[in-house]
Amino acid sequence: MESMTPLKRKQWDRALTFALFTLPALAAILISVEIPFLMSVFSSFTKWNGLDKAQTFIGLENYKELFLDDLDMWKAFGFTLRLTLGSVIVVNLCALLLAVLLDSDIRGKNALRAAFYVPNIVSLIIIGYIWRFIFSAGFESFFQASGLDFFMLSWLGDVNLVYFSVLMVSVWHSLGFYLVIYIAGLQTVPRDLIEASMIDGAGRLVRFFRITLPLIMSSITVSVFHSLSNGLKAFDVIFSLTNGGPGNSTTTIALDIYRTAFVINRFGYGTAKSVVLFLMILILSIFQVRLFKSREVEV
Amino acid sequence: MKKMLFVVLAVLLAFGPLFAAGQQEQKAGPVTLNVLFYSPELAEQYNDMVAAYKAETGVTLDITVLQTDYRSVLTSRLNSGDVPDIFMSSAYADNSTYKDYVYDLTNEDFIKKIEPSALQGVTVDGKILGYPFLVQSHSFIYNKKVFADNGITTLPKTLADFEAVSKKLQANGVQPFATGFKEFWVLPQTAWQAIANVPAENYGGYENFVAKLNAGELKFKDIPQMSQLFDLLDLIKTYGGPKPNESDFNDQTSSLATGKVAMIHQGNWAEDSIRKTNPEVQIGFLVGPTGNTAATAGIMFDSNQTIRIAKDSKNLDAALAWLRWLTTSEYGRNWIPGKVKQLSPIIGAAAPDSQIAKETSALLASGTPGYPWFYQMFPTGTEQQLGAILQGYCAGITNRAQTLDALDSAYAKIAKAAQ
Repeated sequence: MESMTPLKRKQWDRALTFALFTLPALAAILISVEIPFLMSVFSSFTKWNGLDKAQTFIGLENYKELFLDDLDMWKAFGFTLRLTLGSVIVVNLCALLLAVLLDSDIRGKNALRAAFYVPNIVSLIIIGYIWRFIFSAGFESFFQASGLDFFMLSWLGDVNLVYFSVLMVSVWHSLGFYLVIYIAGLQTVPRDLIEASMIDGAGRLVRFFRITLPLIMSSITVSVFHSLSNGLKAFDVIFSLTNGGPGNSTTTIALDIYRTAFVINRFGYGTAKSVVLFLMILILSIFQVRLFKSREVEV
Repeated sequence: MKKMLFVVLAVLLAFGPLFAAGQQEQKAGPVTLNVLFYSPELAEQYNDMVAAYKAETGVTLDITVLQTDYRSVLTSRLNSGDVPDIFMSSAYADNSTYKDYVYDLTNEDFIKKIEPSALQGVTVDGKILGYPFLVQSHSFIYNKKVFADNGITTLPKTLADFEAVSKKLQANGVQPFATGFKEFWVLPQTAWQAIANVPAENYGGYENFVAKLNAGELKFKDIPQMSQLFDLLDLIKTYGGPKPNESDFNDQTSSLATGKVAMIHQGNWAEDSIRKTNPEVQIGFLVGPTGNTAATAGIMFDSNQTIRIAKDSKNLDAALAWLRWLTTSEYGRNWIPGKVKQLSPIIGAAAPDSQIAKETSALLASGTPGYPWFYQMFPTGTEQQLGAILQGYCAGITNRAQTLDALDSAYAKIAKAAQ
């Protein structure tokens, strides 16, 4: 200590102060996030029903079963991917299109922005139950009033239609959130660039694709990242709208994990599944963010 | 000085939450029992009982009532050490699920006041691990007025009878069934009833039947009578209106109450909802068909909903005192028949003012078979999983052979994990 120069000493002090102040936050994160996560990684190597006081270590058995002998889980995985792909594409296209419209000078745009955002405030569980009612009792009344066969289709009971019902409800719910991100993005596009392109004779479409779109790429990165990870984690809307049915045709990975752990009482196996889900989200997200980041431009 | 201040601030930041957590109020005086129950349709009755108990003894029951996520909440609470003093579960397979937590009631005096038949589902190796809450029955409930208006005087017993009745109703423009197929618990109840006679007739009794299934010696695909089950589901689906896979409990009870449909497969717990929708309604209980043999058609009659006492509870004596009060006091004895309006498992209890309970007693008295809820002996978790597979059959995702294979493989996995 005595051999320290005054400068070094000062740096040392600052580092110590820094460490002292970050320590509480670090400890809180460790206790509430990281340590439980590591504990569940440990649980994934055990056979445990979540209730017995002892956990039996069984090595990689859970992972072996998961990859070799669990068709239901992979079906749920397939459905989750289809749902994620659908919702990433539909929600981002719709939100971008609406953002462009609501960022222009149309009448009542503030009211419309609010209207699109409202579903996002309501909990997805409630939304699921509301739509369940609309699809059954609501559609029946529509049918009696209009006579359109469209309303008599079994939107939640027909295996071929239920995908679209789930997609529609989840897009309807989350649209407002992405709309806000895109509107914010559009408002950061400098007016002078737009004006310059107008003087150069660029039409509306060219202006959008050549100027606006590259400049809001960072908003697209954020929105796609968010919708991707939300899609892969989809749980509440499925839980309340279809409860995975009919059959297991709309069971997502998250619902499958919940059931494995809490309904069948296989906690060890359930955590093994969630570790795999975590890795999948991690890899997909890294890949997606890398890809999109490389397209972003700075003004 | 400044350094001192930094250290103090940092320490405060680190331990602040602990100080906050330490300030728990010290409770003294009368005991508060922590209770976790399901069946929210009984919330009013629970509260009435809690008030009565508090008035008589001064003991408070802090009661939480849940439904859909009951199991997961209970599991997390047991796991985290926040064990309720009193909780509920199913009978049979749940005896082993919660074995580490429940108090053995075998030597309690009040247990002798319970009908021995109601204790079957909670007895393991001679130990009584739970308190039977209610005796319940499920089968087909019908709207008497709709049957009379359509000239149906002979009640159906076999699959062919049910089909004939359905045809007649459909021809008259009345929807025969509301299916309830959207609820994962309705499907197995409906389905397993169709083979309720089989374990006793062909496999040496229910325990033996389930033991063989658990050991993998018996597969569903090797049980020829499984066709009875599929035939019944097909019939209900065919005559279950335009959207059979979307019908849930509310749809079933309201459609039956208003006379929109003639029959639903439900239990006596549905009566309250039905009569709330239409107080004037007259309903009756039909036997469930077991193929085309009229003699074996019966109802499912058992005590499944079970009250459990936590053995490590610091209020153990207070919890037992409450059960004793429930079994022996004036209010307690009358609570289930009088307020809950269902059949009580207590010996010599009054008969409830319930149309289904009365019909249940009459049917059993006339020699109609009352089968145990044997599917509750399947390992915990099968109800939901097998229900989803049967739902897949009803939605046309799988045919009979595929459904049987799926049932077998799901069952084998859960049985293996439960060992």
